[in-house]
Amino acid sequence: MNTSMKAFVAVAAVVVLAACGKDDNGGTIVQPLTVKTANDIIADTIIGMAATGQPYGSGKYTFYNLENNAIVPSSDSNTTRWDIGLRGTTIITNGGASGPANGGAFVYIGTFEELKTIPADSVFRTDAANNYAIPTGSNRGWYIYNAPVNLITPIPGRVLVIRTATGKYAKLEILNYYKGGVTPDASASENLKLKEQRYYKFRYIYQPNGSKSFE
Amino acid sequence: MRKFLTLSFLLISTLVLAQDTTLFRANMDEVVVTATRSERKLSNVAVPTTIVHSKRIMQSGSVRLNDILGEQTGLVITESFGKGIQMQGLNPDYTLILLNGEPLIGRMSGVLDLSRISVGNIRKIEIVKGPSSSLYGSEALAGVINIITDQPAADRLSATLRYGRFNTIDASVNGSMKSGKFSSSGFINYNKSEGYSLLPGSIQKTVEPYWRLVNQYQASYDFSAKTKLSASVRYNYEDIRNSITVSNLGQNIVSYGSEKNKDLNINPVLTHQFNKKLKTHMRGYASLFESAQKLDVKDQANNYNDLFQQQFYRVENQTDINASERLNFNVGGGYIWENVRSNRYDSLNTKRSNNIAYLFLQNEWRPIDRLSIIAGLRYDANKAYASVWSPKLAVRYNFNEKLSILGSVGRGFKAPDFRQLYLNFTNVAAGSYSVFGSLVATDEVERLTADGQMDFVTPAYEKLKDLSPETSTGINAGLQMQPVKDLSLKFNLFRNDIDNLIITDIIGYKKNGGQIYSYLNVNRAYTQGLEADASFKKGRYTYAVGYQYLVTADKEVLEDIKAGTVFTRDLETGISRRLLRSEYSGLNNRSAHTANIKLFYESLDAKWFGTFRVLYRSKWGINDIDGNGIINNNRPDEFASGFAQVNISGGRQFQNGIRVMLGVDNLLNYTDPVNMPGNPGYNWYATVRYDFMNKHKQ
Repeated sequence: MNTSMKAFVAVAAVVVLAACGKDDNGGTIVQPLTVKTANDIIADTIIGMAATGQPYGSGKYTFYNLENNAIVPSSDSNTTRWDIGLRGTTIITNGGASGPANGGAFVYIGTFEELKTIPADSVFRTDAANNYAIPTGSNRGWYIYNAPVNLITPIPGRVLVIRTATGKYAKLEILNYYKGGVTPDASASENLKLKEQRYYKFRYIYQPNGSKSFE
Repeated sequence: MRKFLTLSFLLISTLVLAQDTTLFRANMDEVVVTATRSERKLSNVAVPTTIVHSKRIMQSGSVRLNDILGEQTGLVITESFGKGIQMQGLNPDYTLILLNGEPLIGRMSGVLDLSRISVGNIRKIEIVKGPSSSLYGSEALAGVINIITDQPAADRLSATLRYGRFNTIDASVNGSMKSGKFSSSGFINYNKSEGYSLLPGSIQKTVEPYWRLVNQYQASYDFSAKTKLSASVRYNYEDIRNSITVSNLGQNIVSYGSEKNKDLNINPVLTHQFNKKLKTHMRGYASLFESAQKLDVKDQANNYNDLFQQQFYRVENQTDINASERLNFNVGGGYIWENVRSNRYDSLNTKRSNNIAYLFLQNEWRPIDRLSIIAGLRYDANKAYASVWSPKLAVRYNFNEKLSILGSVGRGFKAPDFRQLYLNFTNVAAGSYSVFGSLVATDEVERLTADGQMDFVTPAYEKLKDLSPETSTGINAGLQMQPVKDLSLKFNLFRNDIDNLIITDIIGYKKNGGQIYSYLNVNRAYTQGLEADASFKKGRYTYAVGYQYLVTADKEVLEDIKAGTVFTRDLETGISRRLLRSEYSGLNNRSAHTANIKLFYESLDAKWFGTFRVLYRSKWGINDIDGNGIINNNRPDEFASGFAQVNISGGRQFQNGIRVMLGVDNLLNYTDPVNMPGNPGYNWYATVRYDFMNKHKQ
C-alpha cells in the first residue's frame, strides 16, 4: 500500500468512525463532525459559444445547503435555505449582494486538516456586485486557469471558510471541477474539456453548533 | 550525481585502457574567434568553447541549424515559437546567435527560430558558454553561438539535392571565385516540406507545409596586404501555410492561415592592419526582419492580420592592440539604432525605437606561458531602459600538455525587448484578455477606466515601473585533459544566478472578465550543473560521449516552499498537503540528464563515412496539473517522458565529384505529438552532391 493509499484509508476510517459515533445521549455529548463529500454538482454547464469565443451557460446558479448536503431549488434563491451558489468558477455566499442572509466567506491558505478552528482574527468578506467574498479569477480565489492546456484546477492548500445562511460555520475544499471528479488529460480535445467542466467535487465539515471549531 | 560519477569513471577507464597508436589530431591548435572577439588558439581560451565543423554537420545529415545544435552536449532544442536553443538550462531568449559575428534579429516571444538558418554553407559553428555580455552586450547571458560561413576562397562550385520523407526537398548551390584581389561567394538554398500529421484522423497537420529560400552573397576586396574590404548580403524568405479546423461543441470553424518571414542582412567590413601591433575593424550592419501572419476565417469578414517589422542598424569599431607578446588589448565601441513597427504594438504607423551606445575593453595578459588572464568590461547606454555594466574575468592555467584548468566569472544581461515594452494586444477570440507592454500598460489601463471597461486592478499594477534588463552572474570552472594522445576529456561546472527575471503577471481585470497582463521584473532563478565531454579516436573511428546534469529553480518558489505556502494535491485522493522541497523539480522544460553518444567512421582514403548517434533526454516538466503553478516530482502527469533518439547516416565519395549519402534520423520512431510536435518520428533522406570543380578535394 503506498502512502497516498494509506492516507485515503486513514481518512475513510475517520469518516466511518465518526459516522458510528452518532448515538444520541441526551444531547450532552458533542457529536463528532463528519467530512461530507459532494460529487458532480453541476454549476451551469456550457451550452454554447459566443461569437467572441467565450463559452456560456444559462447563467443560473446552483444553490447548495451545507447542513443537508443537498441542492436547493433555484426558486428558493431569495431565502435562507442555501449557503453557497455555484455558477462556472464563481462561488457566491448567501449575503450581501448575493442573498438575503448574513452569509460570508474567506479563503484560508493551508490544508483542510490543519484548519481546526477558525482563527479569531479572521475577517469574513461578504459578496458585493462583481466583488465576491471568494474572489473570482485565476489564481486569486480557489482555482488556477492553465491557459496553454485550457484546464481549470483547484489550487491545493485553499480552504473556503464559510459562514452559512443561518450563521453557522463550515470549511470546504474544492477537489475537482470536472465530471466524475477527474480532470481531463491535457491532450484531450477542446470539446471534451468544455463539455465536462463545471461539475464540482468538494468535501466539507459543517459545524451545526455555531462554534468556530471543527473538532 | 553518484550515478554520474560512476558512469564517467567507467567511461574514462574504458577509454584509457584501450590502446591506440594512430595519429590523433589534437584540435587544441585550432583557432576560435568568438570567445575573445579575436583569433585565439583553442588551447589558450579560458571559457568553455566548442567548435562544430562543416564535415561533422554534413556527415550528420543536418539541414537546419537546430539539427546540428541539438546533437551537442548541453544544448536542448525547444519547440515554442519555432526551434529555440536552451543552453546551461536557460531559455532561448538568453543565447545570442551571431552570423559571422553579427547578431541575427527577428525573435518571436524571445525565440530566434533556428530552422530559419540553413547549414549548407556553414564552415564552422563556435559555441561559447557562460555570460559574454562583456563583449557582446544584450542576450549573451547563457552564451553565444557564432555561425561562420564559407569565406570566399578558391574557385569552386557545388550543387546538393536532398530528398526525404514527407516530400521534403532541400536543394542548394554553393560557389565561390577568386580573381586577383577580388573574391566572392554565393549560396542559394531552397527547402520545402509537405508537413506531417502525428495524430491520425485530425484535420489539422501537426506541421504545416512550408518552403524556405535563403540567398547569401559575399564579396571581398583586398586593397593591399594590409587593407581588406568585404561585404555580405543574406536574404531569407519563409512561407508557411496552414488550414485549421477548430471544433467547439460541434461547431466547426475553418480558417486558413499563412506566415511569411523575410530576413535581410547586409554586413560591410573594412579591416586595416597598421603594423604588427595594431589592427582595426570597421563594421557596418543592417538587418531587416518582417513577419506577416494572416488568418482568414471561412465565412467571416473579421480576418486576423499580424505584421511585425524590425530594423537593426549598427556601426562598430574594434581595434586590437598587441602591446607585447604577453599583453593584448581589444577596444571597441558602437552605436545601434533599432526600431520596430507592429500592429501588435498600437498601429503600424507607430514606430517604436531604441538606441544603444556601447563601449568595451578587453585585456589579455599572459604573465607566464602557462597562464592567461582575460579581463573584460562593457558599458551599454540605452534609451528605453536602464544602462548596464558587464564585467568578466577569465583565467586559464596549463599545468602541462595533458592538463589545464579554466575558470571564469562574468555578468550577463538581456535587455527588455520591444514586446515587453510596447506590446498592445487584446485577444478577442480567447477570453478577451489583453497583454500590455510595461511602457504602455498604465496608459491603457487609464483608457479602459475612462471607457468604463475596467473592473479593478491587482496589487501588481502598483508595482509597474520601467523594466530593467534581466541580469545574471555566471561562473564556469572546468578541467581539460588529454591523458593519452587520442583521448580528450572536458569537464565544466556552471552556475548562473539570474536576477530581475521578467515575468508576465495579471495587473487587472476588465468588466467582461478578461485579464490584463503586463511585464514585471520580479523573479530570481538559478541554473547549475555539470557538463562532461569525452572523445576518443581509435583507428578510423572517433567515439564521443557527452553528458549534462542540470538543476534549476525559481528562487521565489523556493522561498514560498520554505514559508509553507506551496501545496500539492495527491494524485489518487485529491487531498491537499504541503509540498516538500525535494518534490520541486525546478523550471519547466528542463531535463536533469541529457546525453549523447556518437560514433564516426571514415575510411583511410576518406571515400566512405558512417555515423551512429544516440541522443538522450530525461523527463522534463511541461504543465502544472495540481494547481500550484509549478512542476513537482510527485505528479508524474506534469512531465513529458524521457526518450532516446538514434540517428544513422553513411555516404560515399566518388572520383568524378559525386557524393551520395543516406541516413535515417530517429530510427526507433519515437514520437510524442503533444510535447514534441516538431519530431515527426523516423525520417529518412538521400542526398546527392556534385562538385563541378576541385573534384578530389576534401
